[in-house]
Amino acid sequence: MGSRIPFRATLNCLALGVALLLTLAVPAVARTVTDSAGRSVEVPDIITRVFAAGSPASTLLYVLAPEKMIGWVRAPRAPEKPYLLPATRDLPELGRLSGRGDTLNLERLIAAKPDLVIDFGTINDTYRSLAERVQQQTGIPYLLIDGRFANTPAAFRLLADILGVKERGEALARAAEAIFADVDRVRAAVPEDKRPKVYLARGPEGLESGSRGSINTEIIERVGGINVVTGLREKGGIVNVSPEQLLAWHPDIVVTMDQRFAATVAGKPVWAALPAVAAGRVYLAPTLPFGFIDGPPSVNRLVGLTWLTHAFYPDQVKTSLRDDVRAFYRLFYQVDLDDDALTQLIDPRKP
Amino acid sequence: MTVLAAHHLTIGYGDKMVASDLSLGCAAGTVTCLLGPNGVGKTTLFKTLLGLLPALDGNVAVGGDDLATLTRREIARRIAYVPQAHLTEFAYTVIDLVVMGRTAYLGAFGKPRPIDYDKALAALDMLGIADLAEREITRISGGQRQLAFIARALAQESRIIFMDEPTASLDLGNRVRVLRTVRTLAQEGLAIVLSTHEPEHAFEIADRVAVLGHGSRFVTGEVQAVLTADVLSGLYGVPLCVERTPSGRHVVGST
Amino acid sequence: MKRPPLRTATVFGALTLAVAVLMLIAATIGPYRVPPLTVLKALGERLAGAGGHGAVETVLFNIRLPRIVAAALVGAALAAAGAAYQSLFRNPLVSPDILGVSTGAGLGAVTGILLGMPVMMIQLFGFAGGLAIVSMVMALSRALRSSGDILVLVLAGIVVGALAGAGISLVKVLADPYDQLPAITFWLLGSLAGVKAGDVMATLPAVAVGVAPLILLRWRIGVLSLGDDEARALGIEVARLRVIVIAGATLATASVVAISGVIGWVGLMVPHMARLMVGPRFDRQLPAAILIGAAFMIVVDTLARSAAAIEIPLGVLTAIIGGPMFVWLLAHSRRIAAP
Repeated sequence: MGSRIPFRATLNCLALGVALLLTLAVPAVARTVTDSAGRSVEVPDIITRVFAAGSPASTLLYVLAPEKMIGWVRAPRAPEKPYLLPATRDLPELGRLSGRGDTLNLERLIAAKPDLVIDFGTINDTYRSLAERVQQQTGIPYLLIDGRFANTPAAFRLLADILGVKERGEALARAAEAIFADVDRVRAAVPEDKRPKVYLARGPEGLESGSRGSINTEIIERVGGINVVTGLREKGGIVNVSPEQLLAWHPDIVVTMDQRFAATVAGKPVWAALPAVAAGRVYLAPTLPFGFIDGPPSVNRLVGLTWLTHAFYPDQVKTSLRDDVRAFYRLFYQVDLDDDALTQLIDPRKP
Repeated sequence: MTVLAAHHLTIGYGDKMVASDLSLGCAAGTVTCLLGPNGVGKTTLFKTLLGLLPALDGNVAVGGDDLATLTRREIARRIAYVPQAHLTEFAYTVIDLVVMGRTAYLGAFGKPRPIDYDKALAALDMLGIADLAEREITRISGGQRQLAFIARALAQESRIIFMDEPTASLDLGNRVRVLRTVRTLAQEGLAIVLSTHEPEHAFEIADRVAVLGHGSRFVTGEVQAVLTADVLSGLYGVPLCVERTPSGRHVVGST
Repeated sequence: MKRPPLRTATVFGALTLAVAVLMLIAATIGPYRVPPLTVLKALGERLAGAGGHGAVETVLFNIRLPRIVAAALVGAALAAAGAAYQSLFRNPLVSPDILGVSTGAGLGAVTGILLGMPVMMIQLFGFAGGLAIVSMVMALSRALRSSGDILVLVLAGIVVGALAGAGISLVKVLADPYDQLPAITFWLLGSLAGVKAGDVMATLPAVAVGVAPLILLRWRIGVLSLGDDEARALGIEVARLRVIVIAGATLATASVVAISGVIGWVGLMVPHMARLMVGPRFDRQLPAAILIGAAFMIVVDTLARSAAAIEIPLGVLTAIIGGPMFVWLLAHSRRIAAP
């Protein structure tokens, strides 16, 4: 006998080896999914690296599957980091792919080696064609998810299915539905004439606002607040108003995200004449790690709904704001807030 | 009496020298013609004598004072400049244009006073165009416009007037009128320096001539003495001759 | 025998009266209902030293009046600068921005917005930007040709202005599209929406210092329009006068652009209207342009703040009104260009 291996066995080993190599070398592009725009897109079976095309998508991805993030659209600033998962805090800043002002070079997109790109926002022909173009140019699948606020639970479920995190997606969708239900309940309990007139003050001077129907004031109107700024079109946008017009509207509540504005508003004679300011009903929306009202206009606004409900209808809410916010941050952002962090987030002087 | 004199003048722009060692003098009550082909520096000489360009070397003296030591205001009171009549972007009236000649007599923040308007009108009157005072300069003939510019120089009340090709683009009638005016002004005692392309004008109205030729050749003197056929032929590069008509006029033509 | 003094005096008197009347009318217009009689009463009381501090007073003295005065200032400054430049550059189609002051102020201000500065710093940045750009233009033209040729100035203005414009575009690209870009866009279109009494107090002396030399030297500036050689021969130190005119016009323009943003057409068109009324002589045209500019901007700003519930940018309105008006002026005027 000798040490000769039988020929047949060698052939089998070889074939097995080649087959193994082939499966490793060829990416498993095995699934076809449908995005919110109705597009059929081929995606890999296993997805580990996702690129977010804009800030709303970035937030959605962080909430749903932070382990699959490869970077941020805008790097988190120092005050925001404690409110984010440690693993995501120092991810690189990659830039914006869509939205107003593209800053990303497509080659850099390819260099980032994502499995797919997601975009979360308006679904229209412009964004459809952008998705097609990027997909064709780079070969990277590009998914559009409907970013309308009411669509949030469906968005969670759709994206979770694609990314393979169905359990988490379901938990988040249910929580979102619960928040919506709560808001609707509270709002229904308040007659229309008792609902507050609200003005959203943007910018350090507070004279920039969102008109009725704009994405910036969407959640204020969802909670039942009446946006005093009547714009020119049904779908609102960013507008500027004069202080005199503001006086004529006399809102009951002023909401702002600008710290400088909130700190100085009571001292400005033009604003002090407003009943809202005189009564102290100026609410500074928290912004860490994402804005409660806006910035970006994404799923982060869910906690804003809770916050606004407490602000507008303090008699109707059954739970404490602190508990609600803590629970939200634990589930959605996966951070535990101790008492100090919570206080720093929500000024105890405002509800 | 010499009112304007140039001593060993070097003219040019910046460090680019055009001609050097030019000397000439103009007396009151005389007409001096500046002649020369295009491109030799006639305009540069004209502007340097006028004080619009600095002399590179040598000096120009007005009434004994070096031009370089005088302020613009003082120069304006002694020397007036009549450019070729042009259209401005703005439709000034003739009187508006002429009264601008009084600027040298106004304070820094001043506006024309009644006396300035009087002098302006007097200047127009002297030239026989007082009736054009309220007309816009864009709506009068080229000759009338040129006379308006001359009136402005008169309003300046200077003893010396420089004129830059005042008959260019004028028809025959207007040309005659302007030349006659120049002669009259000289008779009133003014010193006139006239830049021209027409040697015949020099013969007609000038007392003295300054000729700037190629290679910076410069000759000044009495008209008849300087403007010979040889000089003219050398100046313009074509064979020329000078003839006298029976009535005494000089005519320059090609041979 | 000049233009009968009575006629000129009548025109100026009528214009001054018009500005005063327009101011009063504008004070009664606004979304917060105040009956005209109440307005007059409140004004009278405040002038007498008395007067309350209620909502009416807040609306009138903190919101409307500062804005009306600011509008008048903006119109006056832009018109004066435009008229002066038209004489200086011997071209009736020149606007105050020919040396880039508005673009420079725009660059300064939008940079301030990009950096998240408070409003006063944004205004200061705008002011400084306008001055800086014109200084660069002057330095560049001086470096290129020492004779101070007008053409070189204009070309330098185009080049540096284009650079500043590119800078503005770059800022827009870098700005946050949700927070900063709307503010930048609105600033660049021009608005007096947030103007306060303090802004007016700061701008008024700067405009006065800028326009005063233009008024005092108006006769000589008019003579400049004849051309450098002639002006010099008539006794004017052209280079020095040119620097004074540019300095004054730039100071006045930069200070109003800092509070109002970029507003076009006024500086180009109002001098033409003035020319139609009082003739092309700069010493008459300038005061007329100042008054007409003030009146025009008061009307435009009143429209901007009361035609709709939201603010309409001033630059948009001046273009909509000014463009056709300019065409009408050109068609009906015989005094502007030579046949």
